[in-house]
Amino acid sequence: MTQRILEPGEIQGGAVADAPSIRLPELNSLFSDRAARLRQIAPGHALADYLLFVAAIGDAQQSALNNMQTIPLPVPMMLEQSRAHGMPPLNAIDHARDPAWRTVLRTLLGDLEKKIEGIARDHVRRLAGEPDALYEAQADRVLSAVTAGLDFGYAPLVAAGLQVYWVHQVAALGLPALIPLDVPTVCPACGTRPVASVARSGGAAGGHRYLHCALCATEWNMVRIKCSDCESTTGIHYFGIDGGANAVKAETCDACSGYLKIFYMEKDAQVEPTADDLASTALDLLMADAGKMRSGPNLMLFAADGE
Amino acid sequence: MNRRQFFRTCAAGLGGSSIAMLGFSPQPVLAQVRGFKLARTTETRSTCPYCSVSCGVIMYTLGDNAKNNKPSIIHVEGDPDHPVNRGTLCPKGAGLLDMIHSPNRLKYPEVREAKSKEWRRISWDEAYTRIAKHMKEDRDKNFITKNDKGVTVNRWNTTAMLASSAASNESGYLTVKSARGMGMTAFDTQARI
Repeated sequence: MTQRILEPGEIQGGAVADAPSIRLPELNSLFSDRAARLRQIAPGHALADYLLFVAAIGDAQQSALNNMQTIPLPVPMMLEQSRAHGMPPLNAIDHARDPAWRTVLRTLLGDLEKKIEGIARDHVRRLAGEPDALYEAQADRVLSAVTAGLDFGYAPLVAAGLQVYWVHQVAALGLPALIPLDVPTVCPACGTRPVASVARSGGAAGGHRYLHCALCATEWNMVRIKCSDCESTTGIHYFGIDGGANAVKAETCDACSGYLKIFYMEKDAQVEPTADDLASTALDLLMADAGKMRSGPNLMLFAADGE
Repeated sequence: MNRRQFFRTCAAGLGGSSIAMLGFSPQPVLAQVRGFKLARTTETRSTCPYCSVSCGVIMYTLGDNAKNNKPSIIHVEGDPDHPVNRGTLCPKGAGLLDMIHSPNRLKYPEVREAKSKEWRRISWDEAYTRIAKHMKEDRDKNFITKNDKGVTVNRWNTTAMLASSAASNESGYLTVKSARGMGMTAFDTQARI
């Protein structure tokens, strides 16, 4: 890792800027970057076919996002209320989704269908023919983390539509509308758990850890070496695959037996949390074997065993 | 079913996961994992010991204290969350790793007796006893109970003490209590240099 060394005079000049507490996703490239990262990792990967499938979803998501029309935001009174109570303004669980999200999903599925084949394409076609009520029911389960009645084949596709909708709405809301919440372990925009942490490199955010929202890709700062679920600062350890990539570790907590992955951008600048999390599924399997419970979802992979 | 199980990715779950449902095979990754093992790193917050600025550092330790696996510090860097240095270090602090692993590092008490040229290793017990004896001897000889006006002052002016810049409020409190308790007037912390 690089170590920033200050020259004489720099300290007095305020050389070190404040790191932003919240970062919004890059609207123009979030999903295309994810797709590009997945294609970069896929060759020779044990899950190559699935990574390429999710890359195709990413392309369809980016194109759906680029073509999205304006959707009404919650009325100012609602936003003010969220702010006053330290609640996320676009709370995934109780936000009244505009029906437009289903149009976004249908467009996305139509686009995706042309680029994939086999069983996955059958699934996409079948979902495209399902009624709105099913979309809403599956979306509710995805957003509130309920597996009972959730179709694991449909779930990543439904989640793809929800991600586009939420990213669009958060961007429309803008950074000034967001404040750090009293509960620092959920997304300040939509209240969803993070997919992973990223220790960023370069600029004001350099070295700082950000939690990356699994739904809307908003990032919020949390100090390093702290459990991103129970907020304990003791008994935190980092597990990686012996001889594997240095840029990915599972941050574990002795207090709650949980873990969430952390990606170090100084070790690999191209890291994209959702993509790299999928690509490091092997680490999840090892952590599950070690009795650790993952504390945030990756909406592109549902694998609960229903214990 | 709770939220945490919802997030879980385990070998038993992959068979019914999105991967399998969408027609892809989780088998290669399941096979691959059998050859993998975990390596543990610990990140520990500490304070640079060199100067009074007391920059925050993060120390990276590899190893888990298991058999034949002695933990070793592999990297030290500025703590980005520390309000004093915000992730930066001076050139001296940036070389902390070499100080930690230096063969010349002092690891136990040593004494060089009067008129001797050699340093001799002594135990911590012996070191504390010697320091205490020197302090008592000096204090007995030079303790001032009353000043020239006859007012009780109980001063011990001939020994001074310098406390570490990395000391917390709590150890600062204990330093004051013990030093002042002996009548010591000249003591300070390095953070004031």
